[in-house]
Amino acid sequence: MGFLKRRNHSKVQSTSPSQTKETSSTNDLKTSLQDNIQNVKDSLGESSDIVIREIRIGKGGSVKAGIFYTDGLTDTPALQNFIMESLMLDIQGTELEEKLTAEQDVLTSLKDFAMTVGDINDVTNFDDLFTSLLSGDTILLVDGYSEGLVIGNRHWIERGVTEPMSQTVVRGPREGFSENLRVNTALVRRKLKDPSLWMESKIIGTRTKTNVAIMYINGVVNDKIVDEVRLRLDRIDIDGILESGNIEGFIEDSSYSPFPTIYNTERPDTVAAALLEGRIAILVDGTPFVLIVPALFVQFFQSPEDYYVHTGIGSLIRALRFIAFIIALLAPAFFIAITTFNQSMLPPALLISLTAQREGVPFPAFIEAVIMEITFEILREAGIRMPRTIGSAMSIVGAYVIGTAAVEAGIISAAMVIIVSITAISSFVSPTYNLAIAVRILRFGFMALAASFGLYGIAVGLVALTLHLCSLRSFGIPYMTPLAPFNVADQKDTLIVAPIWKMFTRPRLVNQKDQVRQQDPASAKPQPPQK
Amino acid sequence: MMKKCILILLVLTLFLSGCWDRRELNELSITMALGIDKVKNEYLVSAQVIVPSEVSMQASSGRSAVTLYQASGETVYEAFRKMTKDAPRKIYPGHLRILVISEELAKEGISESLDLLARDWELRSDFYVVIAKDLTASEVLNVTTPIESIPANKMFNALKTSERIWAATEGVILDDLLTNLTSDGKEAVLTGIKVIGDKELGSSKQNVESITPSTRIQYDHLGVFKEDRLVGWLTEDEGRGYSDITDTVEKTVTAISCPKGGKIAIEIFDFDSTIKGSINKGEPEVDIHIQAKGNVGEVQCSIDLTKPESMNEIQKIYEKEMKELIEQTINTVQSQYESDIFGFGEAIHRSNPKEWKEMKEHWDEKFANLTVHVHVEMKDLRIGTLNNSFLRKIED
Repeated sequence: MGFLKRRNHSKVQSTSPSQTKETSSTNDLKTSLQDNIQNVKDSLGESSDIVIREIRIGKGGSVKAGIFYTDGLTDTPALQNFIMESLMLDIQGTELEEKLTAEQDVLTSLKDFAMTVGDINDVTNFDDLFTSLLSGDTILLVDGYSEGLVIGNRHWIERGVTEPMSQTVVRGPREGFSENLRVNTALVRRKLKDPSLWMESKIIGTRTKTNVAIMYINGVVNDKIVDEVRLRLDRIDIDGILESGNIEGFIEDSSYSPFPTIYNTERPDTVAAALLEGRIAILVDGTPFVLIVPALFVQFFQSPEDYYVHTGIGSLIRALRFIAFIIALLAPAFFIAITTFNQSMLPPALLISLTAQREGVPFPAFIEAVIMEITFEILREAGIRMPRTIGSAMSIVGAYVIGTAAVEAGIISAAMVIIVSITAISSFVSPTYNLAIAVRILRFGFMALAASFGLYGIAVGLVALTLHLCSLRSFGIPYMTPLAPFNVADQKDTLIVAPIWKMFTRPRLVNQKDQVRQQDPASAKPQPPQK
Repeated sequence: MMKKCILILLVLTLFLSGCWDRRELNELSITMALGIDKVKNEYLVSAQVIVPSEVSMQASSGRSAVTLYQASGETVYEAFRKMTKDAPRKIYPGHLRILVISEELAKEGISESLDLLARDWELRSDFYVVIAKDLTASEVLNVTTPIESIPANKMFNALKTSERIWAATEGVILDDLLTNLTSDGKEAVLTGIKVIGDKELGSSKQNVESITPSTRIQYDHLGVFKEDRLVGWLTEDEGRGYSDITDTVEKTVTAISCPKGGKIAIEIFDFDSTIKGSINKGEPEVDIHIQAKGNVGEVQCSIDLTKPESMNEIQKIYEKEMKELIEQTINTVQSQYESDIFGFGEAIHRSNPKEWKEMKEHWDEKFANLTVHVHVEMKDLRIGTLNNSFLRKIED
């Protein structure tokens, strides 16, 4: 480990000086329009999607100007209606046209009077110019000025707001985030119309220049955690961020732990609920997956639906998820341990039945389990990757190979098929994909422990797992909160789901300020009218 | 650093586990019944091993569900291991349900042969121990049984059920047996088991193909032990008396006489007996208090059950007959066997520890002449779903 760290470190150091050299070159815009055009053309390698339009405006066409935009990223009708038309047609014969001469401040006049577009900024150097140009903005440069205007009219073809593919619910909003950061922030804003909902933007990735937004409710969030998030995001120095998973990899607390310390979701209602609890959302342009920090162990057992349904069924299903988690983690290991080490724990009838099934099975139980688990993982991976159209073919083959044929051929015992199936189904119960991944990885470890040391091995493995979980932190918050450290008030949303009117405080450790969610808990409980 | 230390310690603990014994299920010979005989100064151990493929629902091919392996040796353990000469897999006794000891061995003394079974880690000490009456243990294990295709299961379940609802048998597990063998104030009893019919025919599958199997296994009376030797058998009634005294009755049915001839069967569903010891004028005395609750289960005589007086009468008769039964049981044991199977010694030990120390050495003689007071009380007699027996109407 130490060796690896040292090597990585030296690599980073060697590359950083060359980067700073590049940016310090002559970067400022020239006064000559032709020079600027030439520079843009050279820098972008005359890419065919970059459109450069030279026009003449003002009285008698005395002012030369250039319009730059990227075809496909820019709202072309808007460009024609509100920029080209304003400049070239609408101002003809107006007072403004008089002003547009070489002697006057053309840029300010244009900005103030001609541009019928909301978002306008100045640009003075090529770096900013390229960022804006390649983000889809339109750039207006005027001959004789070493600065230009950035006109925000980005528009590209995008997927609309659709139902999220992950974290589906029976009851609850059906909208999900899309790939557009603005749409995503709007979806959150629409749920939280609070002036304290603050958003900070960052651009991460030296080449992708990905927009990243940090959202939180000021006054509810723990400021120290916000500082920590900013710090960790600022530390990222990479050329490309393509998905929030890249960000997650850079800012998570423990990369080698199989357990996720950052929550991700496609659902605006989950984000809104997290913000209300005092958590911080990190939205990344180009992906529907929003990160939420800090993320605690119990959070991965919570589904948004828990709070939309009756408290009884909510609690029951919450408990079911914990049970399914344990089954998904331990069922094959437990089966191996019991059948190869601790047979005396089986009831006699079951022992005989299992023994009868194993008659003629050529492999030890452990190998049998590993074969089945790997077969299942292959089927599952194939199911995700392959073209949708051949899905049914694979499910038939898979079900037949796994289920019937292997047992009938006497290669695998029927009981093992049951165990592997139960395990597989249980791992799908988890409302978050992250935690299911952790379970998938750890399952094999537990199977090996069980095969070598029996139930004792499983017990030792569980002790190690508990120690590991208790040592994890997510942005400074102990991962197992509120179980360890134990917190009575937060049990309302841990193993059970208390009725909504009982949840009148925010989670303790996540949030320190503005604890109370309902000012008068006594009157929150629904009751018949008092005479 | 701290983390690494803990991690290393955890990994090391893995290798500290004592019993490293990885076996696949199909490497085991699951043994649910064991028999121990004594043949010419050697122990003959018989293991009734299950043939799993025959027991399972789908694949049975009609062969016997169990098979018997036998081996003899100077010690039980030796014989046990020698069995692998014959058996293809290691004998796995973890699920042992019943241990059959031959009457011959029981008369010589059973403690030596039990040591292995109590010591071995694989065995759970909750299996029943029974005595093969008038025959060898291997002959008992050689009989096929209907309903339960595994004879060991039949023996286990029959003893468990009859102990609960009939009460003349005693399901004694190894733990209890060892306690009784080592205790000063209580001697052991074991239920007898016998084979009715042709022993040769009993081992074949044909035996269970007829409605009435020609050969069957049946529980018999209680065997009385003195120290670790079998000294004799109680009759069925005495066996019930024994169960009544030692408070092992859960439910039972007792037939008593009607006031004017005929029989009434009383179903006892709540039975409680306590033994109290005391010292009277230097001599030990024992009081047995019995409280029973029951139902009138069957009426074969003319009696008006709707009258409280007749119910009282029945209760009185029950109390009287019960008292007689118990006194007779105690008498027999006192005079014939001089073996304190009821645990009267323990009662004295509890009530008068000082005096017990003195009389402990010659307790057998004291027991033979012990005065026992029996008090039987029947409460809450109910009459079931009929008021008066229809016999009364027929007679009218």
